[in-house]
Amino acid sequence: MPPTVRGGLIGMADVLTMSSNRLLLSGQQLAREFSLSDVADPFPTWNQTNPKNVEYQRHAAEGFRTWQLPVNGLVARPSALTLDQIKSLAARTQITAHVCEQGWSAIGEWTGAPLQRVLEAAGGVTPTARYVVIDTYDGWYEGYDLFEVEHPQTILAYRLNGRDLPRGNGAPLRLRVERQCGYKNLKFVKSIRVVDSIAGIGKGTGGINSDSGFHWFAGV
Amino acid sequence: MHSPVTSEPIFRNAGAPSIVHSYSVRICHWINVIACVYLLVSGVHILLDFPELYWGHTGYRGYPAIFKLSDWGLSWEAAGKLGDRRWGRNYHVTFAWVFLINGFVYVAWNLHTSHFRKRMLPARAELTMAHVWTDLREHLRWRSRRHTSSSSYGALQKMSYLLLIFVFVPFMILTGVAQSPGFTAAIPVLLDMFGGRQSARTLHTVGTVVLALFVVVHLFEIVAAGFFARVRSMVTGKESIAVNTEITR
Repeated sequence: MPPTVRGGLIGMADVLTMSSNRLLLSGQQLAREFSLSDVADPFPTWNQTNPKNVEYQRHAAEGFRTWQLPVNGLVARPSALTLDQIKSLAARTQITAHVCEQGWSAIGEWTGAPLQRVLEAAGGVTPTARYVVIDTYDGWYEGYDLFEVEHPQTILAYRLNGRDLPRGNGAPLRLRVERQCGYKNLKFVKSIRVVDSIAGIGKGTGGINSDSGFHWFAGV
Repeated sequence: MHSPVTSEPIFRNAGAPSIVHSYSVRICHWINVIACVYLLVSGVHILLDFPELYWGHTGYRGYPAIFKLSDWGLSWEAAGKLGDRRWGRNYHVTFAWVFLINGFVYVAWNLHTSHFRKRMLPARAELTMAHVWTDLREHLRWRSRRHTSSSSYGALQKMSYLLLIFVFVPFMILTGVAQSPGFTAAIPVLLDMFGGRQSARTLHTVGTVVLALFVVVHLFEIVAAGFFARVRSMVTGKESIAVNTEITR
């Protein structure tokens, strides 16, 4: 269920949407993977394409050579991984559709490290862990439950359409969550923390989008 | 005495009210009205926020579109200001559930009571071209339907309701769900059924226009048949029709 439930009919609908969707997906089925001929190249960009954050600009200028991804919270060994370390983890390439809630969609070839492998590189999550929270360089934050995190297609992508992930599409890393709408597929990933509750995060609904009144579970 | 065409009794007790709409039909009808209004308005908001339509799996601003609202006088920016996609999405998904559950109750209950067979299934004689043509001509003339009973539907009426409930509504539900990244992962055939989620989105929009047309015709017919009496009978379930001894269809 969503970490917080809104009131009234809307909240009830949220619960129905998420529970019916998860019931149907209990086999952790993959979202459709397409072929290279379906790919949109250049891949469209939307919203932020160049975060003003000073640290980001510095790292981007030097090709993210010294950049590190902190993985903290309820993991056995809180760590910080370099981009090279992330790229050395077993990668997954998937040709999948990015489905924006606004209505547009585009298919891209994404290559990245499954989020599950990244968490394992930090010793894996502890038994009380329930959500993974990701913060970005443009001020976004989103929470994901472990069911989504463990899915094979949930990757931190560093390549798009055979090239290094372009800045406009979220360099150095953007999250892919293939069974939910685009706004859960965060760009400009800055840090990961594993928590047992999303209560203290943002306004407490579990993500910047749900804090703004959109669905936390964006499967629809 | 029964009409040879519809097999419905054509003599009625003048003045004595009869039940023409059952409890479940009435409740489901009004819930449906509310749900459909919200679905339509929220759907328009969603579309206005991204007012272009494509075909296939792909579609984004700059990609070849089969329909662009900006070609019809409303710029992207102006449409975006009119459309509130947060309100639209929240209410569209919410009332999609209301519509679905209400619709399921309506269909399940009324299959059980044989409502569809008795009220909406056309008799063989009604399916002839001659009969349909006569019915259509009568509809196109302003011929008062005030003295016909709400329990007796004409041939075109029966066919439209059946098409609406059993073909068109499932079509709208499927083209809606085929746009969802979560539900298409669970039911991948949805992606192939319409040729991709952009095709589904386009078909869903076209379907909205068809639905709006149905509502317009429905309201027109209710007015032609006596608006207040018909609405009252859809609330109370009863009708009193003063003179109703011969219904020719």
